[in-house]
Amino acid sequence: MMPIWTKSGKKHAVTLLKVQDCHVLRYVSKEESGGKTSKLLVGGKNGSPFSKSESAMEIFKEAGVPRKQKVTTFNVTDDALIKPGTPLYAAHFRPGQFVDVTAKTIGKGFQGVMKRWGFKGQPASHGQTKTHRRPGAISTNKASKVYRGKKMPGKMGNIYRTSFGLKVWRINTKHDIIYVNGSVPGHTNCLVKVRDSKLPTCKDSNKNPPFPTFFADGDEKLPEDLYDEEVFQFTDPSVTYT
Amino acid sequence: RVNSDGKPAKFQPPPKPVIIDKQKQREERRFLSPEFIPPRGRTDPLKFYIERKDMIQRRKVFSIPEFCVGHILAVTTADPYANDKASRFVGICIQRGGKGLGATFVLRNVIEDQGVEICYELYNPRIQAIEVLKLEKRLDDNLMYLRDALPEYSTFDVNMKPVSRLDHEEIPVNKLQVRMKPKPWSKRWERPKYNIKGIKFELPGKKMKEAQKWSQPWLEFDMLREYDTSKIEEKIWKEVSEELKK
Repeated sequence: MMPIWTKSGKKHAVTLLKVQDCHVLRYVSKEESGGKTSKLLVGGKNGSPFSKSESAMEIFKEAGVPRKQKVTTFNVTDDALIKPGTPLYAAHFRPGQFVDVTAKTIGKGFQGVMKRWGFKGQPASHGQTKTHRRPGAISTNKASKVYRGKKMPGKMGNIYRTSFGLKVWRINTKHDIIYVNGSVPGHTNCLVKVRDSKLPTCKDSNKNPPFPTFFADGDEKLPEDLYDEEVFQFTDPSVTYT
Repeated sequence: RVNSDGKPAKFQPPPKPVIIDKQKQREERRFLSPEFIPPRGRTDPLKFYIERKDMIQRRKVFSIPEFCVGHILAVTTADPYANDKASRFVGICIQRGGKGLGATFVLRNVIEDQGVEICYELYNPRIQAIEVLKLEKRLDDNLMYLRDALPEYSTFDVNMKPVSRLDHEEIPVNKLQVRMKPKPWSKRWERPKYNIKGIKFELPGKKMKEAQKWSQPWLEFDMLREYDTSKIEEKIWKEVSEELKK
Protein backbone atom coordinates (compact mmCIF):
# COMPACT_ATOMS: atom_id res chain seq x y z
CA MET A 1 0.00 0.00 0.00
CA MET A 2 1.18 3.51 -0.80
CA PRO A 3 0.06 7.09 -0.24
CA ILE A 4 -1.22 9.11 -3.20
CA TRP A 5 -1.89 12.85 -3.15
CA THR A 6 -4.54 14.77 -5.10
CA LYS A 7 -4.02 18.22 -6.64
CA SER A 8 -5.91 19.80 -3.73
CA GLY A 9 -3.35 18.35 -1.27
CA LYS A 10 -5.46 15.51 0.21
CA LYS A 11 -3.81 12.18 0.89
CA HIS A 12 -5.40 8.82 0.03
CA ALA A 13 -4.09 5.32 0.69
CA VAL A 14 -3.75 3.14 -2.38
CA THR A 15 -3.26 -0.62 -2.92
CA LEU A 16 -1.10 -1.83 -5.82
CA LEU A 17 -2.47 -4.78 -7.80
CA LYS A 18 -0.32 -6.44 -10.46
CA VAL A 19 -1.91 -8.10 -13.50
CA GLN A 20 0.34 -11.12 -13.92
CA ASP A 21 -0.06 -13.34 -17.06
CA CYS A 22 -3.85 -13.17 -17.38
CA HIS A 23 -5.38 -15.04 -20.29
CA VAL A 24 -8.97 -15.79 -21.36
CA LEU A 25 -9.40 -19.57 -21.14
CA ARG A 26 -12.85 -20.55 -22.33
CA TYR A 27 -16.21 -19.23 -23.48
CA VAL A 28 -19.29 -20.74 -21.81
CA SER A 29 -22.55 -19.86 -23.59
CA LYS A 30 -25.78 -18.86 -21.79
CA GLU A 31 -27.50 -22.22 -22.41
CA GLU A 32 -24.48 -24.26 -21.29
CA SER A 33 -24.05 -22.44 -17.98
CA GLY A 34 -27.79 -22.02 -17.31
CA GLY A 35 -27.41 -18.40 -16.12
CA LYS A 36 -28.75 -15.12 -17.50
CA THR A 37 -25.58 -14.15 -19.42
CA SER A 38 -22.71 -15.99 -21.04
CA LYS A 39 -19.52 -16.47 -19.07
CA LEU A 40 -15.82 -16.16 -19.80
CA LEU A 41 -13.30 -18.20 -17.83
CA VAL A 42 -10.13 -16.19 -17.10
CA GLY A 43 -6.91 -17.57 -15.63
CA GLY A 44 -4.32 -15.75 -13.50
CA LYS A 45 -0.70 -16.27 -12.51
CA ASN A 46 1.35 -18.99 -14.24
CA GLY A 47 2.24 -22.16 -12.34
CA SER A 48 3.82 -25.59 -12.81
CA PRO A 49 1.80 -28.06 -14.94
CA PHE A 50 2.93 -31.14 -13.03
CA SER A 51 0.76 -30.92 -9.92
CA LYS A 52 -2.57 -31.00 -11.76
CA SER A 53 -4.37 -33.99 -13.32
CA GLU A 54 -4.63 -34.42 -17.11
CA SER A 55 -8.36 -33.65 -17.17
CA ALA A 56 -7.83 -30.35 -15.36
CA MET A 57 -5.04 -29.41 -17.77
CA GLU A 58 -7.37 -29.81 -20.80
CA ILE A 59 -8.77 -26.29 -20.46
CA PHE A 60 -5.25 -24.80 -20.62
CA LYS A 61 -4.23 -27.01 -23.56
CA GLU A 62 -7.28 -25.97 -25.62
CA ALA A 63 -6.55 -22.29 -25.04
CA GLY A 64 -2.83 -22.77 -25.71
CA VAL A 65 -1.76 -21.22 -22.47
CA PRO A 66 0.52 -22.34 -19.55
CA ARG A 67 -1.21 -23.69 -16.43
CA LYS A 68 -2.77 -20.91 -14.34
CA GLN A 69 -2.92 -20.90 -10.58
CA LYS A 70 -6.34 -19.31 -10.33
CA VAL A 71 -9.36 -19.61 -12.67
CA THR A 72 -12.38 -17.27 -12.25
CA THR A 73 -15.61 -16.67 -14.15
CA PHE A 74 -16.89 -13.31 -15.34
CA ASN A 75 -20.52 -12.79 -16.44
CA VAL A 76 -20.22 -11.08 -19.80
CA THR A 77 -22.75 -9.74 -22.36
CA ASP A 78 -22.67 -11.20 -25.87
CA ASP A 79 -21.12 -8.11 -27.49
CA ALA A 80 -18.12 -8.21 -25.14
CA LEU A 81 -16.90 -11.73 -25.91
CA ILE A 82 -13.17 -12.29 -26.34
CA LYS A 83 -11.44 -15.16 -28.12
CA PRO A 84 -9.91 -17.72 -25.71
CA GLY A 85 -6.15 -17.35 -25.51
CA THR A 86 -6.00 -13.54 -25.65
CA PRO A 87 -3.88 -11.97 -22.90
CA LEU A 88 -5.48 -9.39 -20.63
CA TYR A 89 -3.54 -6.33 -19.44
CA ALA A 90 -3.91 -3.69 -16.73
CA ALA A 91 -4.88 -1.15 -19.40
CA HIS A 92 -8.25 -2.91 -19.55
CA PHE A 93 -9.13 -0.56 -16.68
CA ARG A 94 -8.76 3.22 -16.90
CA PRO A 95 -8.17 5.80 -14.13
CA GLY A 96 -11.46 7.19 -12.83
CA GLN A 97 -13.28 3.84 -13.08
CA PHE A 98 -14.79 2.12 -10.08
CA VAL A 99 -13.91 -1.46 -9.36
CA ASP A 100 -14.89 -4.35 -7.04
CA VAL A 101 -12.06 -6.50 -5.69
CA THR A 102 -12.65 -10.05 -4.41
CA ALA A 103 -10.11 -12.20 -2.60
CA LYS A 104 -9.78 -14.76 0.18
CA THR A 105 -9.31 -12.97 3.52
CA ILE A 106 -6.32 -13.70 5.77
CA GLY A 107 -6.96 -16.95 7.66
CA LYS A 108 -6.96 -16.53 11.43
CA GLY A 109 -7.66 -20.17 12.34
CA PHE A 110 -10.01 -21.21 15.13
CA GLN A 111 -10.96 -18.04 16.97
CA GLY A 112 -13.09 -17.21 19.94
CA VAL A 113 -16.28 -15.25 19.92
CA MET A 114 -14.70 -11.91 20.96
CA LYS A 115 -12.35 -11.75 18.00
CA ARG A 116 -14.62 -13.46 15.49
CA TRP A 117 -17.88 -11.60 16.16
CA GLY A 118 -16.84 -8.68 18.35
CA PHE A 119 -18.64 -9.75 21.52
CA LYS A 120 -17.88 -7.72 24.65
CA GLY A 121 -16.95 -10.62 26.95
CA GLN A 122 -17.05 -10.23 30.72
CA PRO A 123 -15.19 -7.97 33.22
CA ALA A 124 -11.67 -8.97 34.27
CA SER A 125 -12.31 -8.79 38.02
CA HIS A 126 -15.13 -8.30 40.56
CA GLY A 127 -15.72 -11.99 41.20
CA GLN A 128 -15.84 -13.40 37.64
CA THR A 129 -14.94 -17.13 37.93
CA LYS A 130 -13.20 -18.43 34.80
CA THR A 131 -15.39 -16.27 32.55
CA HIS A 132 -13.69 -13.41 30.70
CA ARG A 133 -14.00 -14.10 26.95
CA ARG A 134 -17.04 -16.39 26.80
CA PRO A 135 -20.22 -15.73 24.80
CA GLY A 136 -22.54 -15.81 27.84
CA ALA A 137 -26.17 -16.71 27.02
CA ILE A 138 -26.82 -18.33 23.61
CA SER A 139 -30.62 -18.26 23.47
CA THR A 140 -33.77 -17.41 25.47
CA ASN A 141 -35.89 -19.71 27.65
CA LYS A 142 -39.02 -19.44 25.46
CA ALA A 143 -37.20 -20.52 22.28
CA SER A 144 -35.92 -23.72 23.97
CA LYS A 145 -33.51 -24.17 21.07
CA VAL A 146 -30.48 -22.47 19.60
CA TYR A 147 -31.22 -20.71 16.29
CA ARG A 148 -29.34 -21.66 13.14
CA GLY A 149 -26.54 -19.26 12.41
CA LYS A 150 -25.91 -18.44 16.08
CA LYS A 151 -22.61 -16.57 16.36
CA MET A 152 -20.19 -18.98 18.05
CA PRO A 153 -16.43 -19.67 18.03
CA GLY A 154 -15.06 -21.28 14.87
CA LYS A 155 -12.65 -20.97 11.93
CA MET A 156 -12.23 -17.30 11.03
CA GLY A 157 -10.95 -15.89 7.75
CA ASN A 158 -9.85 -17.69 4.57
CA ILE A 159 -13.21 -16.96 2.90
CA TYR A 160 -13.97 -14.91 -0.20
CA ARG A 161 -14.93 -11.31 0.51
CA THR A 162 -15.37 -8.28 -1.79
CA SER A 163 -14.65 -4.60 -1.31
CA PHE A 164 -17.04 -2.59 -3.48
CA GLY A 165 -16.70 0.71 -5.30
CA LEU A 166 -12.92 1.23 -5.18
CA LYS A 167 -11.68 4.04 -7.41
CA VAL A 168 -8.81 3.40 -9.79
CA TRP A 169 -6.33 6.29 -9.40
CA ARG A 170 -3.48 5.29 -11.68
CA ILE A 171 -2.40 2.57 -14.11
CA ASN A 172 1.17 1.58 -14.99
CA THR A 173 1.09 -0.02 -18.45
CA LYS A 174 4.78 -1.06 -18.45
CA HIS A 175 4.56 -3.24 -15.33
CA ASP A 176 0.76 -3.84 -15.52
CA ILE A 177 -0.09 -2.35 -12.13
CA ILE A 178 -3.47 -0.96 -11.06
CA TYR A 179 -3.54 1.58 -8.18
CA VAL A 180 -6.82 1.01 -6.36
CA ASN A 181 -8.18 3.28 -3.59
CA GLY A 182 -8.31 1.96 -0.03
CA SER A 183 -7.60 -1.54 1.20
CA VAL A 184 -8.31 -4.88 -0.41
CA PRO A 185 -9.06 -8.27 1.26
CA GLY A 186 -6.25 -10.80 1.36
CA HIS A 187 -2.58 -10.95 2.43
CA THR A 188 0.35 -9.44 0.46
CA ASN A 189 0.97 -11.17 -2.89
CA CYS A 190 -2.34 -13.07 -2.83
CA LEU A 191 -4.48 -13.70 -5.94
CA VAL A 192 -7.33 -11.27 -6.43
CA LYS A 193 -10.29 -10.88 -8.81
CA VAL A 194 -10.89 -7.33 -10.13
CA ARG A 195 -14.22 -6.57 -11.78
CA ASP A 196 -16.13 -3.47 -12.95
CA SER A 197 -18.23 -2.21 -10.06
CA LYS A 198 -21.92 -3.11 -10.01
CA LEU A 199 -22.88 -0.37 -7.51
CA PRO A 200 -25.69 1.85 -8.91
CA THR A 201 -23.82 5.04 -7.93
CA CYS A 202 -20.78 4.02 -9.97
CA LYS A 203 -22.59 3.32 -13.27
CA ASP A 204 -21.90 6.81 -14.71
CA SER A 205 -18.15 6.83 -14.12
CA ASN A 206 -17.55 3.65 -16.12
CA LYS A 207 -17.91 5.56 -19.39
CA ASN A 208 -15.77 4.80 -22.49
CA PRO A 209 -13.75 1.90 -21.13
CA PRO A 210 -11.62 -0.06 -23.65
CA PHE A 211 -14.23 -2.42 -25.14
CA PRO A 212 -14.09 -5.44 -25.16
CA THR A 213 -10.56 -5.17 -23.74
CA PHE A 214 -7.18 -3.50 -24.35
CA PHE A 215 -5.22 -5.34 -27.05
CA ALA A 216 -1.43 -4.93 -26.81
CA ASP A 217 -0.81 -5.60 -30.50
CA GLY A 218 -3.50 -3.07 -31.54
CA ASP A 219 -3.01 0.47 -32.84
CA GLU A 220 -3.39 2.24 -29.49
CA LYS A 221 -0.04 3.28 -27.98
CA LEU A 222 -0.53 4.25 -24.34
CA PRO A 223 2.01 6.22 -22.20
CA GLU A 224 3.75 4.32 -19.42
CA ASP A 225 1.65 5.91 -16.64
CA LEU A 226 -2.03 6.80 -16.85
CA TYR A 227 -3.24 9.16 -14.11
CA ASP A 228 -6.68 10.26 -12.99
CA GLU A 229 -7.35 14.03 -13.46
CA GLU A 230 -7.18 14.80 -9.75
CA VAL A 231 -3.97 12.90 -9.00
CA PHE A 232 -0.88 14.98 -8.22
CA GLN A 233 1.90 13.79 -10.53
CA PHE A 234 5.41 14.08 -9.13
CA THR A 235 6.65 15.87 -12.26
CA ASP A 236 4.56 18.94 -11.29
CA PRO A 237 5.82 21.62 -8.84
CA SER A 238 4.52 21.70 -5.25
CA VAL A 239 0.87 22.40 -4.55
CA THR A 240 -0.01 26.04 -3.71
CA TYR A 241 -3.29 27.65 -2.72
CA THR A 242 -4.30 31.01 -4.17
CA ARG B 1 75.19 28.07 8.62
CA VAL B 2 77.45 26.14 10.95
CA ASN B 3 76.62 23.10 13.04
CA SER B 4 77.48 22.81 16.73
CA ASP B 5 80.52 20.66 15.71
CA GLY B 6 81.89 23.49 13.59
CA LYS B 7 81.36 21.67 10.25
CA PRO B 8 79.06 23.20 7.55
CA ALA B 9 75.41 21.84 7.83
CA LYS B 10 74.23 19.34 5.20
CA PHE B 11 71.59 20.67 2.86
CA GLN B 12 68.19 19.52 4.07
CA PRO B 13 65.41 19.80 1.48
CA PRO B 14 62.19 21.51 2.66
CA PRO B 15 59.38 19.13 3.80
CA LYS B 16 57.03 17.98 1.03
CA PRO B 17 53.63 19.81 1.03
CA VAL B 18 50.69 17.64 2.15
CA ILE B 19 47.89 17.98 -0.49
CA ILE B 20 44.42 17.45 1.02
CA ASP B 21 42.20 16.66 -1.98
CA LYS B 22 38.92 18.19 -0.76
CA GLN B 23 36.92 16.85 -3.73
CA LYS B 24 37.85 13.28 -2.88
CA GLN B 25 36.82 13.80 0.74
CA ARG B 26 33.50 15.21 -0.39
CA GLU B 27 32.81 12.22 -2.66
CA GLU B 28 33.59 9.73 0.06
CA ARG B 29 30.72 10.96 2.24
CA ARG B 30 27.59 9.18 1.00
CA PHE B 31 24.28 9.86 2.60
CA LEU B 32 21.32 7.69 1.64
CA SER B 33 18.05 8.83 3.19
CA PRO B 34 16.76 6.04 5.45
CA GLU B 35 13.36 5.86 3.73
CA PHE B 36 14.95 4.36 0.59
CA ILE B 37 16.00 1.20 2.41
CA PRO B 38 13.16 -1.35 2.05
CA PRO B 39 11.96 -2.99 5.27
CA ARG B 40 12.31 -6.72 5.78
CA GLY B 41 9.25 -8.60 4.61
CA ARG B 42 7.61 -10.69 1.93
CA THR B 43 6.65 -7.80 -0.33
CA ASP B 44 7.58 -7.96 -4.01
CA PRO B 45 10.77 -5.92 -4.70
CA LEU B 46 8.94 -4.51 -7.76
CA LYS B 47 6.75 -2.47 -5.40
CA PHE B 48 9.84 -0.85 -3.80
CA TYR B 49 11.33 -0.19 -7.24
CA ILE B 50 8.22 1.65 -8.37
CA GLU B 51 8.02 3.61 -5.12
CA ARG B 52 11.67 4.60 -5.51
CA LYS B 53 11.01 5.85 -9.04
CA ASP B 54 8.26 8.11 -7.68
CA MET B 55 10.49 9.33 -4.84
CA ILE B 56 13.35 10.15 -7.23
CA GLN B 57 10.90 11.95 -9.52
CA ARG B 58 9.76 14.13 -6.62
CA ARG B 59 13.36 14.81 -5.55
CA LYS B 60 14.21 16.02 -9.05
CA VAL B 61 11.51 18.66 -8.88
CA PHE B 62 11.85 19.59 -5.19
CA SER B 63 15.22 19.25 -3.45
CA ILE B 64 15.10 17.50 -0.08
CA PRO B 65 18.32 18.25 1.86
CA GLU B 66 20.08 15.51 3.76
CA PHE B 67 19.35 15.76 7.45
CA CYS B 68 19.42 13.58 10.54
CA VAL B 69 17.77 13.46 13.92
CA GLY B 70 19.08 16.44 15.91
CA HIS B 71 19.29 18.93 13.03
CA ILE B 72 17.30 22.13 13.27
CA LEU B 73 14.98 22.57 10.24
CA ALA B 74 12.56 25.19 8.94
CA VAL B 75 9.65 23.85 6.87
CA THR B 76 7.24 26.01 4.82
CA THR B 77 3.95 24.31 3.87
CA ALA B 78 1.04 25.53 1.76
CA ASP B 79 -1.91 26.18 4.07
CA PRO B 80 -5.30 27.24 2.66
CA TYR B 81 -6.31 28.82 5.99
CA ALA B 82 -3.16 30.83 6.72
CA ASN B 83 -2.78 34.55 5.87
CA ASP B 84 -0.09 34.20 3.22
CA LYS B 85 -1.37 30.73 2.22
CA ALA B 86 1.96 29.43 3.58
CA SER B 87 3.03 28.57 7.13
CA ARG B 88 6.61 28.22 8.38
CA PHE B 89 7.68 26.09 11.33
CA VAL B 90 11.15 25.86 12.87
CA GLY B 91 12.12 22.97 15.12
CA ILE B 92 14.55 20.23 15.99
CA CYS B 93 14.04 16.90 14.24
CA ILE B 94 13.37 14.34 16.97
CA GLN B 95 12.40 11.33 14.90
CA ARG B 96 12.43 10.06 11.32
CA GLY B 97 9.96 7.28 10.60
CA GLY B 98 8.24 5.45 7.78
CA LYS B 99 9.64 3.94 4.58
CA GLY B 100 9.02 4.81 0.96
CA LEU B 101 6.66 7.63 -0.01
CA GLY B 102 5.08 7.78 3.44
CA ALA B 103 8.32 8.76 5.19
CA THR B 104 7.78 11.32 7.98
CA PHE B 105 9.86 13.43 10.33
CA VAL B 106 8.74 15.10 13.56
CA LEU B 107 9.88 18.66 14.40
CA ARG B 108 9.67 19.94 17.96
CA ASN B 109 9.80 23.50 19.31
CA VAL B 110 8.53 25.38 22.35
CA ILE B 111 6.50 28.45 21.34
CA GLU B 112 5.33 30.81 24.11
CA ASP B 113 5.87 28.15 26.79
CA GLN B 114 3.84 25.57 24.86
CA GLY B 115 5.65 22.55 23.42
CA VAL B 116 4.60 21.94 19.80
CA GLU B 117 5.45 18.90 17.68
CA ILE B 118 4.51 18.66 14.03
CA CYS B 119 4.85 15.46 11.98
CA TYR B 120 5.60 16.28 8.31
CA GLU B 121 5.60 13.88 5.38
CA LEU B 122 8.76 14.20 3.26
CA TYR B 123 6.99 13.64 -0.06
CA ASN B 124 3.82 15.63 0.63
CA PRO B 125 3.30 17.98 -2.36
CA ARG B 126 2.12 20.79 -0.03
CA ILE B 127 5.62 21.29 1.37
CA GLN B 128 7.14 24.34 -0.35
CA ALA B 129 10.64 24.36 1.19
CA ILE B 130 12.80 22.51 3.72
CA GLU B 131 15.88 24.42 4.98
CA VAL B 132 18.47 23.04 7.33
CA LEU B 133 19.31 25.85 9.76
CA LYS B 134 21.85 24.01 11.91
CA LEU B 135 23.54 20.69 11.24
CA GLU B 136 24.25 18.93 14.48
CA LYS B 137 24.02 15.28 15.38
CA ARG B 138 23.08 14.14 18.86
CA LEU B 139 24.10 11.08 20.82
CA ASP B 140 20.78 9.28 20.11
CA ASP B 141 18.74 8.31 17.07
CA ASN B 142 15.46 9.24 18.70
CA LEU B 143 15.04 12.41 20.75
CA MET B 144 11.52 11.70 22.07
CA TYR B 145 12.86 12.22 25.60
CA LEU B 146 12.93 15.97 24.95
CA ARG B 147 9.23 15.89 25.87
CA ASP B 148 10.20 15.12 29.47
CA ALA B 149 13.28 17.33 29.50
CA LEU B 150 13.31 20.93 30.75
CA PRO B 151 11.73 23.19 28.09
CA GLU B 152 14.94 25.15 27.58
CA TYR B 153 16.41 22.21 25.62
CA SER B 154 13.59 22.30 23.05
CA THR B 155 13.30 26.07 22.53
CA PHE B 156 14.73 27.37 19.28
CA ASP B 157 14.45 30.86 17.89
CA VAL B 158 11.81 31.01 15.15
CA ASN B 159 13.77 33.66 13.24
CA MET B 160 17.10 31.85 13.54
CA LYS B 161 19.56 32.47 10.69
CA PRO B 162 21.05 29.40 9.00
CA VAL B 163 24.45 28.60 10.52
CA SER B 164 27.10 28.67 7.80
CA ARG B 165 29.34 25.67 7.43
CA LEU B 166 31.81 24.34 4.88
CA ASP B 167 30.83 21.48 2.65
CA HIS B 168 33.55 18.99 3.43
CA GLU B 169 33.47 19.25 7.21
CA GLU B 170 32.01 16.38 9.12
CA ILE B 171 28.73 16.89 10.91
CA PRO B 172 29.58 17.76 14.53
CA VAL B 173 28.18 15.55 17.29
CA ASN B 174 26.71 17.49 20.20
CA LYS B 175 27.47 15.50 23.34
CA LEU B 176 24.92 17.43 25.34
CA GLN B 177 23.52 15.66 28.39
CA VAL B 178 19.97 16.86 28.89
CA ARG B 179 18.45 17.50 32.34
CA MET B 180 14.98 16.09 32.88
CA LYS B 181 11.85 17.27 34.64
CA PRO B 182 10.96 15.32 37.80
CA LYS B 183 9.39 11.92 37.26
CA PRO B 184 6.78 10.65 36.09
CA TRP B 185 7.95 10.71 32.47
CA SER B 186 5.99 9.64 29.38
CA LYS B 187 8.32 6.64 29.00
CA ARG B 188 10.79 5.08 31.44
CA TRP B 189 13.85 6.46 29.66
CA GLU B 190 16.32 4.97 32.17
CA ARG B 191 15.49 1.42 30.97
CA PRO B 192 18.13 -0.19 28.71
CA LYS B 193 15.68 -0.91 25.86
CA TYR B 194 15.72 2.77 24.85
CA ASN B 195 19.53 2.88 25.08
CA ILE B 196 19.65 6.65 25.63
CA LYS B 197 23.02 8.28 26.11
CA GLY B 198 21.95 11.91 25.99
CA ILE B 199 20.27 12.25 29.41
CA LYS B 200 21.96 13.22 32.63
CA PHE B 201 20.14 10.88 34.98
CA GLU B 202 19.90 12.40 38.44
CA LEU B 203 18.15 9.32 39.82
CA PRO B 204 19.54 7.47 42.86
CA GLY B 205 21.88 4.60 41.99
CA LYS B 206 19.34 2.09 43.37
CA LYS B 207 16.78 3.08 40.68
CA MET B 208 19.37 2.83 37.93
CA LYS B 209 20.34 -0.65 39.11
CA GLU B 210 16.67 -1.66 39.24
CA ALA B 211 16.19 -0.43 35.67
CA GLN B 212 19.00 -2.76 34.51
CA LYS B 213 16.76 -5.70 35.52
CA TRP B 214 14.90 -5.15 32.23
CA SER B 215 18.04 -5.43 30.14
CA GLN B 216 18.01 -8.14 27.47
CA PRO B 217 21.73 -8.87 26.81
CA TRP B 218 20.87 -11.76 24.43
CA LEU B 219 19.20 -9.42 21.90
CA GLU B 220 22.45 -8.39 20.20
CA PHE B 221 23.28 -12.06 19.53
CA ASP B 222 19.84 -12.92 18.12
CA MET B 223 20.51 -13.99 14.53
CA LEU B 224 16.90 -13.81 13.36
CA ARG B 225 16.84 -10.08 14.13
CA GLU B 226 19.90 -9.34 12.01
CA TYR B 227 19.15 -7.23 8.94
CA ASP B 228 22.33 -6.44 7.06
CA THR B 229 21.51 -3.50 4.80
CA SER B 230 25.04 -2.68 3.53
CA LYS B 231 24.70 -4.41 0.14
CA ILE B 232 21.13 -3.23 -0.39
CA GLU B 233 22.21 0.32 0.53
CA GLU B 234 25.06 0.29 -1.99
CA LYS B 235 22.82 -0.90 -4.81
CA ILE B 236 20.11 1.65 -4.00
CA TRP B 237 22.71 4.44 -3.58
CA LYS B 238 24.10 3.74 -7.06
CA GLU B 239 20.62 3.65 -8.56
CA VAL B 240 19.46 6.84 -6.84
CA SER B 241 22.60 8.88 -7.55
CA GLU B 242 22.59 7.88 -11.23
CA GLU B 243 18.94 8.83 -11.64
CA LEU B 244 19.40 12.17 -9.86
CA LYS B 245 22.38 13.10 -12.02
CA LYS B 246 20.31 12.78 -15.21
